[in-house]
Amino acid sequence: MENLALSVKNINKYFHDPETFQVLKEVSFEVKKGEFLALVGKSGSGKSTLLYVLSTMDTDFTGSLIINGTNLEGKTQNELAAFRNEHIGFVFQFHYLLPEFSAIDNVMLPAMKLGKKSHEEIRGDAMQNLILLDLKEQAEKPASKLSGGQQQRVAIARALINQPAIIMGDEPTGNLDSKNAKGVFNIFKQLCKEKGQTIIAVTHDDDFAANCDRIIEMRDGILFS
Amino acid sequence: MVTKTNLKVAIAHLTSRKRQAVVAVLSVTFGVGLFIFMKSFVGGINAQQADLVFASSAHIRIFNEANSQVPNIIPNTETQVVNVRNAKAIQYTEGIKNAEKVIADLQHNPHILSVTAQVNLPATFKNGSAKTGGVLSGVDVVNEDLMFGMKKFIQNGSWEELDISNNHIVIGRGMAEKLNLTVGSMIAVTSADNVSKNFKIVGIVYSGTTAVDDNKGFIKKTAALQLSKKNQNYATDIQINIRDFEQAMEIALPMKQEVAYKVESWQESNQQLVTANNLRNMISTVVPLVLIIVAGFGIYNIMTMTVNEKIKEIAILKALGFGGKDVIQIFLTQAVLIGIVGAVTGIGLGYLISTIMSKLPISLGTANHLIILFEPKTYMLATGIGLIITIIAGYLPARKAAGVDPVQIIRG
Repeated sequence: MENLALSVKNINKYFHDPETFQVLKEVSFEVKKGEFLALVGKSGSGKSTLLYVLSTMDTDFTGSLIINGTNLEGKTQNELAAFRNEHIGFVFQFHYLLPEFSAIDNVMLPAMKLGKKSHEEIRGDAMQNLILLDLKEQAEKPASKLSGGQQQRVAIARALINQPAIIMGDEPTGNLDSKNAKGVFNIFKQLCKEKGQTIIAVTHDDDFAANCDRIIEMRDGILFS
Repeated sequence: MVTKTNLKVAIAHLTSRKRQAVVAVLSVTFGVGLFIFMKSFVGGINAQQADLVFASSAHIRIFNEANSQVPNIIPNTETQVVNVRNAKAIQYTEGIKNAEKVIADLQHNPHILSVTAQVNLPATFKNGSAKTGGVLSGVDVVNEDLMFGMKKFIQNGSWEELDISNNHIVIGRGMAEKLNLTVGSMIAVTSADNVSKNFKIVGIVYSGTTAVDDNKGFIKKTAALQLSKKNQNYATDIQINIRDFEQAMEIALPMKQEVAYKVESWQESNQQLVTANNLRNMISTVVPLVLIIVAGFGIYNIMTMTVNEKIKEIAILKALGFGGKDVIQIFLTQAVLIGIVGAVTGIGLGYLISTIMSKLPISLGTANHLIILFEPKTYMLATGIGLIITIIAGYLPARKAAGVDPVQIIRG
């Protein structure tokens, strides 16, 4: 149990609009710490839905969800938000930075919210993450002035800032050209190896999936591993 | 308290929509500014009106009301006829006989600031063949000034000199012009009982009310008692000033039970003025209040637009671990910032308009410019209303933003 980053048991979820439809059927699996996991499947298979259930943002499901040893059943929205802040990092397909903020301010945001370190320490950490992702020169530029690849790397730097147990990616390379996609993938791989980060990424990209530690496939709401 | 991060996001939102933010601030500025100016202006008019009233009468007046009721003799039976020709009301008592005791009793009332007795009698003022009717007012020279500020109404001569001799008189400016008199001239006064006496004019008074300026002559109370052949304890009117003149009615009410004479508050004797004051107060509150509320709708609109435009950022903040409370804080902070900046500039605007208007040479009564009040109370009230309205206007969109489901927005 000690080295499990995530464990789900018997997750069922229904969509009720336009008509009742079971999107996740008895999904159960475990992810070890330091694992790089790809979640694949055709569109409509329920892979993204599963990711948002794992992310704690979607609470409309039955079954148990344990992340980093914490059972998240029955927690309030605000408790879950605080949990996400500390234990989960996100990287989305569309980069979703705050356009008015500089790259470094975007990276600092989750740590400022967590409030466990001083402003200077957080700034130092953020700068290190940006250097790691080769964005040192872009640190003070407003997010809206960066290229797509740069924005996605800023988003990764942001996901890392609180040293979360798990980084979750929803098509993290889906909106990037092949060169930038490869760059982002290599960063993920490196994080896994060097920092022991756990990564769960939903992807369409077969190359991306093939190079992961483990692939989980969703088909019509049922999980095959 | 607002966290530094939330404040930073709020400011980023505001500065990314500069034009809308400026419009929202200006709408609060004008609302608050106009509220302050209207209130100060109307307050000034009302204060001036009250000043005019209180120049000649006090907050509460005690007097002996002439009994005008003719007793009605009702026949005993239907067959009986009563015929009284030339029926008359007989007044058994005249004036206040025990003025000193009444005053001594009133001194115990904690609301009362000052009390003075007057002996007022109708009189004819003559200078040679020119003559005019009016009221001769026997006063306590020191107390009369304390209550009505007679000294500041003196145009020529001096009020204090009245106290020196029973032969001195101060008359109104209108009367002085009519009878062609100046300070130092002699004036003959004849009472209703046909007692005549010559007085030396030591002062001309101009209060702005015709009741004083055209009709009144002031002499020492002892001189008036002599003229009316009454003893020391006699007075026709007891004038009372209280601490807060707005409360005159409430304070006069219990006195009506205690005092054997008629007790009348200034509101009762000046009902027209009270009605006009209330009406002005109402207009000066309602009109700017509507303006501030309209500003509130503007802010609501702008904040709703901001929420819609930033809905993806809100979703992302929630994904990063910002709670509903943080989101409310972010948007409420924007509204409060608009409110504070608007209120501060509104105070400036209100003060500016008030200052300019108070300097314009528009003459009203004794004043040669508009009287505009500068009361901290008004400024605080305007700021409070401005802030409350902006907070309400900001809270509704903020609550909507807090309810955003990040999954729905991020997944599209």
